[in-house]
Amino acid sequence: MIESYLIDKMFNNEPFLDEMATDQGKIHPHWERIAKYYEQIGSGRMGQFHEEVGRQLRENGVTYNVYGDPNGMNRPWILDPVPMVFSSDEWEGIEKGLLQRTELLNLILGDLYGDQTLIKEGKIPFELIYNHGGFLRQAHHIKLGGEQQLIQYSSDLARGPNGKMWVLHDRTDAPSGAGYTFENRAAMTRVFPDLIRENHARKITSYYQTFKNTLTSLTNNKENPRVVLLSPGPTNETFFEHAYISSFMGFTLAFGEDLTVSDGYVWLKTIKGLEKVDVIIRRVDDVFCDPLEYKSNSHLGVVGLMEAVRQRKVLVINPLGCRVLENPGLMAFLPKISKHLLGEDLILPSVATWWCGQPTEMKYVFEHIESLVIRNIYRGTHKKSVFGGNLSKEEIEKLKREIRRSPYMYVGQEMVDFSTTPSWINNKLVARNAVFRSYVVADTENKNYKVMPGGLSRSSPEKGAFLVSNQTGGISKDTWVLGKGKEVATPVAKAIKIQPLVRNVLPSRTGERLFWLGRYLERAAYSVRLMRMTLLSYNEADEDIHVHDNPVLSTLLQTLTVMTGTLPGFTVKKNLKNPEAQLLSLVHDVKKMGSLAYSIQSFLTNAYSVRDRLSLDTWRILDSISEELAKMRNADTTLMQAYQSLDNMVVKLMAFYGLNIDNMTREPTWHLLNIGRFIESASNNCLILKGMLTKSFDSESNKELMEDTLRCNESLVTYRYRYRSNLEMHGVLSLLILHEDNPRSLIFQLLEIDNHLSTLPNQDEKELFSIERKKLLQAITKIRLCDIDEISIPNVVTQEFVELRVLLDEIIGLLHETSDSIYEKYFSHTDTRYSMIQSSVIPEI
Amino acid sequence: MRYKVTHITNYIYDFPAVLCHNLMFQIPPDLPFQNVEEYLCEISPKPSTEIERVDFFGNKYLYFSVERSHKNLTVTSKSVVELSSPSWVSVKPDETMPWEKVVALLHTTKTSTDVRQYYLESKHVNFIDGIGDYALESFTPGRPIMEAMLDLNTRIFNDFAFTPGFSDISTPLEKVFKHKKGVCQDFAHFSLACLRVLGLSARYVSGYLETLPPPGKPKMIGADASHAWIAIYVPGHEWIEFDATNNLLVNDKHIRVAVGRDFADVTPLKGIVYSGSKQEMKVSVDVRNLEEVE
Repeated sequence: MIESYLIDKMFNNEPFLDEMATDQGKIHPHWERIAKYYEQIGSGRMGQFHEEVGRQLRENGVTYNVYGDPNGMNRPWILDPVPMVFSSDEWEGIEKGLLQRTELLNLILGDLYGDQTLIKEGKIPFELIYNHGGFLRQAHHIKLGGEQQLIQYSSDLARGPNGKMWVLHDRTDAPSGAGYTFENRAAMTRVFPDLIRENHARKITSYYQTFKNTLTSLTNNKENPRVVLLSPGPTNETFFEHAYISSFMGFTLAFGEDLTVSDGYVWLKTIKGLEKVDVIIRRVDDVFCDPLEYKSNSHLGVVGLMEAVRQRKVLVINPLGCRVLENPGLMAFLPKISKHLLGEDLILPSVATWWCGQPTEMKYVFEHIESLVIRNIYRGTHKKSVFGGNLSKEEIEKLKREIRRSPYMYVGQEMVDFSTTPSWINNKLVARNAVFRSYVVADTENKNYKVMPGGLSRSSPEKGAFLVSNQTGGISKDTWVLGKGKEVATPVAKAIKIQPLVRNVLPSRTGERLFWLGRYLERAAYSVRLMRMTLLSYNEADEDIHVHDNPVLSTLLQTLTVMTGTLPGFTVKKNLKNPEAQLLSLVHDVKKMGSLAYSIQSFLTNAYSVRDRLSLDTWRILDSISEELAKMRNADTTLMQAYQSLDNMVVKLMAFYGLNIDNMTREPTWHLLNIGRFIESASNNCLILKGMLTKSFDSESNKELMEDTLRCNESLVTYRYRYRSNLEMHGVLSLLILHEDNPRSLIFQLLEIDNHLSTLPNQDEKELFSIERKKLLQAITKIRLCDIDEISIPNVVTQEFVELRVLLDEIIGLLHETSDSIYEKYFSHTDTRYSMIQSSVIPEI
Repeated sequence: MRYKVTHITNYIYDFPAVLCHNLMFQIPPDLPFQNVEEYLCEISPKPSTEIERVDFFGNKYLYFSVERSHKNLTVTSKSVVELSSPSWVSVKPDETMPWEKVVALLHTTKTSTDVRQYYLESKHVNFIDGIGDYALESFTPGRPIMEAMLDLNTRIFNDFAFTPGFSDISTPLEKVFKHKKGVCQDFAHFSLACLRVLGLSARYVSGYLETLPPPGKPKMIGADASHAWIAIYVPGHEWIEFDATNNLLVNDKHIRVAVGRDFADVTPLKGIVYSGSKQEMKVSVDVRNLEEVE
């Protein structure tokens, strides 16, 4: 395996620069054991290990979303079983270089938002900073306590032709990826335990411990700080990581809509009311954080956050304003600034950079444009870096015009051949370019910085690709720093207090999602069961008889329409004629509101947005539900295939619920999920009874409809066991409405809602019964008082079960009111629509 | 001149808003030629938090939040300001520095960033196509900066038609330039773009100006409006103000409130309101000349 790798590498006419071997084909000492191990296990076992690594990550639900790609949601995270490896000696230099660079950037940051001596003295060109979108004037003169303003720092590094690691990018706003390094390491440790141990790959966990200690030392509330991780939401590419870090660190995962500023403080909206927030770890980009002072159309931030920061009532990490350092133009000036501020040479070189804001440099960039990468100094979504060599003549002229118009916005950077590292792709060890992302965190107690001994490496899936990113399909690698470090003292866990306190906090929005998760779960399950009955009946139906002359089938179809809320649907006679297409769309048309696919999609969407609240095992089931949904959505499905996938689906949905019974602690999360669930099942129970059993047909049809109704409620077996008789209305209704020991009965479902409701906060004890519980009590009493004999007999004239219908309608109405009242009490402040107002009238003089 | 200014902003919502956060730039500063005798701000309903701060550009502003249900928000700023003639009125335009020399001076670290920041593009002031050529017609080689500026001011006044309703805040400068229409804010932004594209520092000034009724008609209360003009940096004389809308070198009739790169930095009142409903905004400005009354 190793030999063929080296032979391929040596004879492909490209510059030989490899992480594993010298250009003579000799394996580097720190790679020897690893290479020998690969040689021993051979490619067969390696393939198995690769799959095993993938399985580990999948089972832990590690995903990476791709923006703008509807099918890219929750894409599995890909990990190469071959790590990036650093020797102990080399790491010492890299670590030193990273520490120096962080110190330096921190000093620059403090200066830019303070006295600006560097600009006044011309060490940093004024245009480079004042034109950069990351220079936030609103953040001027705002400082954290202590000298360290830059708390988290990351940089992307790659090995240049001189064999040294070079910095490609600085990431200072809201660096991402550290959570993935933990998952990568966990997966690798499971699959290659011996290899990791024998090579003494250093542990990376101290990074977060340091981070926690730093937060505690910075916040005003040292006793029990409430820390939230502000995430842009479940569609963000690294949402998995936000959820992962939150649960791993004991932070509360929050979206902008969960937070509000009042009295100068930031508050978390929970189902118990407002709770004060002390620290915000932000994963939302700087200018999206406060629509009042920055982008007024942002809905990801917290209105008034900057003001809370100014009043020092909340700590935002990284502080707003740090993004000004994410500026490739700065790279051209760092060596001089390092000499000036630290009196040291810059240890880690940056990739050679020419800032076009200076005439000589611009001239150089223009003359060498075909061999340079042109980048905007401000990284925005629409401003991608381009390689001059890939452009046509016209495109180059256009680019030059743009540069001439605002030269200070551009840099040219050298296009370098970086080293390759062995990568396991398509069952073969091949050479791919790799980029390593490092993680540095402030240790405010010791007034210095700590570097994670490891990080996130990424290689390109295609050969020779230079710009590596996960958004364009990169493959991640675990990063091993071999051998013991000088400082082995792991920081002492001081911030343990954070954990227990935030555990029981439930943001209202999360509560609402859980409520809907429960509702969609039941909605989907009921839809599946009713659809199965309908499809069976359709298949058995006599083809010669018109559907509307088939009382059982037409009743099933009409009930389906009512239950899925897709009126008029089959309640219109002509739609009964050829029900197949419409029936199929009710199964798999995800765009049709009320369809099964729609309910399942909504179920999944709600599940993803509360993923920090669900156990890892649950993720496996959600994944398989997602797979099943994808199969079901296949437009070519026939009714028979649809029937099969319905069978699979119902089992998986129930498995999801079953697992949660076992795993979820009996906290408000659990209760809200169940309130949603039982409100939905009670309503559907009513709708099915009303649709199926309130009319009377010939006795054979009546029997069939009763049987189907029992099947829809999974109660046929119970019925037979209890009554050992033919199907009769009296028995069926008793079982499905009155029997308190039957979990499928209406009364059981209503009592369950009340049980769960009574455990929630704000069920005011003085009143004993809240409005929602009063409504429930009314419904429960109505059922208990109802005369079963009366509702089991049809009206003599109309042959309809009028009493039954009236009762069910009343219960449905009361359920609606209960639901509304719960909404009002627990989720009302999830309505967070807001808009910008401003003196839009232009001064008209 | 002595003026009393009353600036009332009123928001009306269809449904009650539960919370709003606002920034207000309506506090006139004391300057060598502007003496603020009185300033009073009244907000109804009474804000829960009210903090006066100074922004990056040196303007005073007010942050306030209203944290209870309200269907109406009224902000009233009242001030009495005495104006005197600024020193620049006596500057001889033909004796000012050639504009290229000013550009050269601005682009060194000898000039402070507080001044230099105003030669960069900003949200509403972009270097659109053709703007440099337009500016160079006035800024001929070696021409004294103030002379060139007066010429530019007059050209904008003559070339552009004052057309209320043509533009709003989101109207791009290209459109204003193409149709040569707009209101004071557009003319200010256009003037700024002309100057900055040449490398000169120029800033946006927001404030008030008394409008005079047609001869023989009485003045209507609240018929005035907030106004906008520009200031250009001239070494030795600091910031000199010009009003292209009225073809004026600003003297003692313009009441200054705030300065910034453009309108976005000094919006008189902006806020975020938590309410799902539509809102209506009414602004009225009344500028009384107290000397005339006496």
